[in-house]
Amino acid sequence: MRVFRHLATSLAGFSALVAAGVFVFTVALTFAVSLFKDVVISGWSVAAGQVGPWFVLFVGVHVIHNVLPVAVAHGRTRRELLGAATGFSVVFAAAMAAVAWLGFAVEGGVYALMDWTAGDRGLPHAYFLMYLVWCAVGMLLAAAFDTSGLAGLVALPFGIAFAVMAKVRIPGSGELPFLRNEMSLLGAGWHVASAVAWLLAVAATWLIAKNMPVRSKSA
Amino acid sequence: MQVDVRGLTVRYGTITAVDDMSFSLSGNKIYGLLGRNGSGKTSLMSALAGYRRPVGSVLLDGAPVFENARAMRNVCLVRHTTDAADKGDKVVHALEYGKAWRETWDDTYARELVELFGLPLKTKVGELSLGQRSALGVTIGLASRSPLTMLDESHLGMDTPTRYAFYDALLQDFMRHPRTIVISTYLIEELASLLEEVLIIDNGRLVLQEEADVLRSRGTEVTGTADDVDAFTAGLTVLSEKSLGRTKSVMVYGTLDDAQLVHARRLGLELGPIALQDLFVHLTEPVGGLR
Repeated sequence: MRVFRHLATSLAGFSALVAAGVFVFTVALTFAVSLFKDVVISGWSVAAGQVGPWFVLFVGVHVIHNVLPVAVAHGRTRRELLGAATGFSVVFAAAMAAVAWLGFAVEGGVYALMDWTAGDRGLPHAYFLMYLVWCAVGMLLAAAFDTSGLAGLVALPFGIAFAVMAKVRIPGSGELPFLRNEMSLLGAGWHVASAVAWLLAVAATWLIAKNMPVRSKSA
Repeated sequence: MQVDVRGLTVRYGTITAVDDMSFSLSGNKIYGLLGRNGSGKTSLMSALAGYRRPVGSVLLDGAPVFENARAMRNVCLVRHTTDAADKGDKVVHALEYGKAWRETWDDTYARELVELFGLPLKTKVGELSLGQRSALGVTIGLASRSPLTMLDESHLGMDTPTRYAFYDALLQDFMRHPRTIVISTYLIEELASLLEEVLIIDNGRLVLQEEADVLRSRGTEVTGTADDVDAFTAGLTVLSEKSLGRTKSVMVYGTLDDAQLVHARRLGLELGPIALQDLFVHLTEPVGGLR
């Protein structure tokens, strides 16, 4: 619980600040764009659907690459950290999805006032699953590369597959190569696939990181 | 805390850093872990601290340490690379980790040490000088009050007054809170008076483990005329010898018995102790048939 509390307090506060900054920037940018052309998409949906997952992925990397060695150095086991990180990924993804939706609500008011068109925003649980999977993929890749160096590349195709899978239901993500109308292909089944991807990514992270050595950092 | 190591091996690819090592530490002593660069000190300590899965067994009070929450709580290893904080963390964050994650952490003592070493709380760990990082490591190690505390080259970059402050703090804290402390160092003579027992390792193997006082008595410097010294030391394990004109000085390893002492006196030889550091140097060199 001590490790979870640390992750939640240190990273959630930081993430909230980043989200607030990105929101203000997005609205300002939308105003700037509106001076030259009509606004037909939600700026915040670009931030939440394209930038957000990368931020969440790097938080996942940070948890394994930076926090795990520090936790071990302070007498905590890898299993304790991984347990806390797994719980944290769920809470963090939910918080990020809530922030995304709060952003849509505020942005909706601005758009209505300015008579702009927002377009499709997707569903809240699609954002939750996307953040959940991307955070787990970040943890998986950090565990793989930190444990095995370049051999960690083996985990990369799996990470990419999981990440792409979790983004299918997010508007504006683009179509997959060789596969058209993938959103209608599985429908809500993509959510199930995302949940399975998260489970697999977390399981693989546990498998790899439970024996991860704490190496000396370069001074 | 009792430490039992059996058949410990640590490998990095084709390099064997610790080679089938076995020893026990009986606890509540200050141990010196001495070895040359690359002898396997850090790898050994890393395995003792659960930083890496051991091949062989590492038991703390009879329980395996690796991924054993109860055992891990009782261990603190400080390497000079400051594992206990991220480079982007401020010094105050490193102390907060200790306070949050260690039941045995003494935050008041940590703040005292921060003041003693003049550490800037708001500065990032990555921006500290080498000496300041070492001081932070010592602060984390001592304030952890872990039953097994290991300090790996913790004096690196410290200036002389800071090192002496560290030695004083270490001794005072050990007297107040006896525990098992293992220190690896190359400044052997500076720390020699603190060490109760010494382990010397070389090429990943344990060369010897001995009480520091016993170890000192194991070496004798024999000085006299060259012929007399040669006659006296014939059959003894000679670590090194120096000659100046007809005078010769030889360091021998092994305890001299009463008959040998009488013999030396009869020959008019001078017998004197040798420094721990000299013993270490010679024991880790391929001389004397000891390795």
